[in-house]
Amino acid sequence: MNQPLAGYAPAPVTARMENHGSHMLKVAMQTGNDLLARVGSMVAYEGFIQYEPNPPAVRQIARDWITGEGAPLMKCSGDGLLYLADYGANVVVINLGGDAISVNATNLLAFDANLQWGVERVKGLAKFAGQGLWNTKISGQGWVALTSRGEPIVVDCGGGEDETYVDPDALVAWSPNLKVKGKRSFKAQSLIGRGSGEAYQMAFSGTGIVVVQPSEDSTDRLRFRG
Amino acid sequence: MPREFQRGHKARISDLTAGTDLYVGVQISAPGLTFDISCFGLDADERLSDDRYFIFFNQPKSPEEAIQLLGAQAGDTESFRVTLDRIPPTVQKLSFTATIDGDGQMSRINPGYLRIVAGGEEVARYSFSGSEFTTERAVMLGDFYLKDVWRFAAVGQGFDGGLEALLKNFGGEVLEEDTPEPAPAPQQPQTGGAPGFAPPAFGAPSAPPAPSAPTPPPAPQPAHQGFAPPAATPPPPPAAPAPSVHAAPTIIAPMTPPGGTVPPPAPAPAPYGQPGQHQPYGHQPPAPTAPPPPGYGQPPAPHAPPPPPGYGQQPYGQVPGQVPPAPYGGVPQGVPQGAPQGTGVAAALSKFKETPTGQRWTLQNGKLVRADLGVGGQPVLARQGSMVLYQGKVDFSYKGAGFVGRIVGNATGQEMQLMRCTGQGQVFFAESAAHLHPVELQGDAICVSAENVLAFDESLQYEVRRIEGHGIPGGALFTMQFQGTGTIVVKTHGTPVVLPVTPTTFVDSNAVVAWSAAAQVIVSSQVRMRRNAYPGDTGEGVNLQFRAAPGNFVVVQPYEV
Repeated sequence: MNQPLAGYAPAPVTARMENHGSHMLKVAMQTGNDLLARVGSMVAYEGFIQYEPNPPAVRQIARDWITGEGAPLMKCSGDGLLYLADYGANVVVINLGGDAISVNATNLLAFDANLQWGVERVKGLAKFAGQGLWNTKISGQGWVALTSRGEPIVVDCGGGEDETYVDPDALVAWSPNLKVKGKRSFKAQSLIGRGSGEAYQMAFSGTGIVVVQPSEDSTDRLRFRG
Repeated sequence: MPREFQRGHKARISDLTAGTDLYVGVQISAPGLTFDISCFGLDADERLSDDRYFIFFNQPKSPEEAIQLLGAQAGDTESFRVTLDRIPPTVQKLSFTATIDGDGQMSRINPGYLRIVAGGEEVARYSFSGSEFTTERAVMLGDFYLKDVWRFAAVGQGFDGGLEALLKNFGGEVLEEDTPEPAPAPQQPQTGGAPGFAPPAFGAPSAPPAPSAPTPPPAPQPAHQGFAPPAATPPPPPAAPAPSVHAAPTIIAPMTPPGGTVPPPAPAPAPYGQPGQHQPYGHQPPAPTAPPPPGYGQPPAPHAPPPPPGYGQQPYGQVPGQVPPAPYGGVPQGVPQGAPQGTGVAAALSKFKETPTGQRWTLQNGKLVRADLGVGGQPVLARQGSMVLYQGKVDFSYKGAGFVGRIVGNATGQEMQLMRCTGQGQVFFAESAAHLHPVELQGDAICVSAENVLAFDESLQYEVRRIEGHGIPGGALFTMQFQGTGTIVVKTHGTPVVLPVTPTTFVDSNAVVAWSAAAQVIVSSQVRMRRNAYPGDTGEGVNLQFRAAPGNFVVVQPYEV
């Protein structure tokens, strides 16, 4: 009856985090190896998995996140298979292996709870249109999953003095060792950016990469959910 | 970093760059001397069997524009644009030469170079100086030659005669031989000499065209009656120097046995229109990116079997001169989802790496396009807010919507706002994760619904056309008609369908994206009033009907705005 759908059965687990298709994340959960995931990102699970929204440890680290609201993270623990997704966005799985990465808050889907992480405001950027730009710096040995609206692109900053300028709405992640500056184009007729008459860009310089999504829609969809 | 070539070095072009749209710049100068820099398109016998492939100041392009003379720019004395995959099969070798206009000796030249630039990046440079030459008046600087694949050889072979001796060497003919001076001024071909380059024999034999090619390249005609064999006194024997150069060790495979100095043949140069080659992510049919220019006799066939290489067949898969399929080769495509991968951020993200080869427009993935402003040097106009990232010194300025914008804005309530990107650098455009399709126009025209325009070269002329009709939301449909030479990036929501225009092609005005400008649009309403009056109206009352000669097409997206 459902032969056309049979091709979408889960593949055997080979790693802690895997893509199921390009828009869904599959996490192999184990007791003692907890996961922090965006609140509301769970689409399915199999096994015994418990969710604790806004756990005290997260609240401590992420107390700066966005004032007045709890950190949009939940701790998932237990055994089984967990499927996460964010409204059809592409999911990118990274095995950090000791590296570090800075992720735009809205593009973070899940990461291992044993990683070192912290929330910081992007230095040098006072405030971005409507939404303060927060990012989560994650490092250590473990797995991280990001979301991207559309297939992302990774650009090498080159390492020279040249700066790479990114529309903050399209920014997904970057190497934490890059120097970040805010740039406002105050030129009279310069109108870039979404809607507003003001142009903001973020300038990155140094050695490292910047990950950009092909969409300037950075609305936090998961946040709208109850 | 460009690769430095020495005299005699050779390399495959594909090892230098994945692109096939190359810029070749020559810098050569000497106090008090002027130089004529030309390109000879030679056949397999190293003869100039077709005069139209002698590219020089008086004939700045070959018939299909695969080789174009661009003039002095960017520090180069002379420059060419060579589109390797459009060179007809009869031309097997391009020889770039410099000749002294008038008297002079090559030993007096300043240090110069021949360089190959692909996508704004210099990939190869062969430097030479006067000390390598003596009394020569001409020099064969470098060759592009076809041996399984296109290769480049730094030749640096001096030549005693001037331009006309060189021409004779290659089997061409200069009229006005009766002028007694040893060096007929190279301006002569412009005036009296011009007929010498007119193909005298083409009228009669009319080379048998390949059956399906509308504009067949002339068949090779070694025994061309118009070309007298070279006189008995062509200065150095022509055949000798070239083979010796090509027998020199290749850079890539330096120490292979003499018989096999050439590396094993790479895959043949990309056949045009092979669908598999430009599907980095497998969900994008090639045709939308490459609507055939109007006027080609057959409707687009997105999944037609790969046609044999040949100029006349190009439109199927690839608009002439468009970013070749090769750039996608840079994307590691075969990474299976969920396969174990290396650790680290770099390893995990490697499959999303920027595709390195730069043409002016490079599709990075189905939804992101990169414009290299350094190539071509002209500004790009883009929808405001569509920039996601840029590198280099790029200036974004408000582009007054002008007449166009105001018309669109007034009528539809939303102004189409553009920004102009100028300067040097790479700009990445994307919007709402829509699928992007760069369409290169070569003098033809296309109509694009204003909402589906993402960015385009400023060199294109555009005008707004208004299609009125009852039932169209907003009272009218606004389209932008582009024509000229340049690229326009069209965005679609979802994978579009390209339909050939037949007498019964109807399209929902909300879903139409683009159509070839030769097609005539008619608004057709279904005049079955009685049915519309009932509540069970289908909602599909108003359609656009297209009327055009065969060969035109319509692009429709699976999304009704």
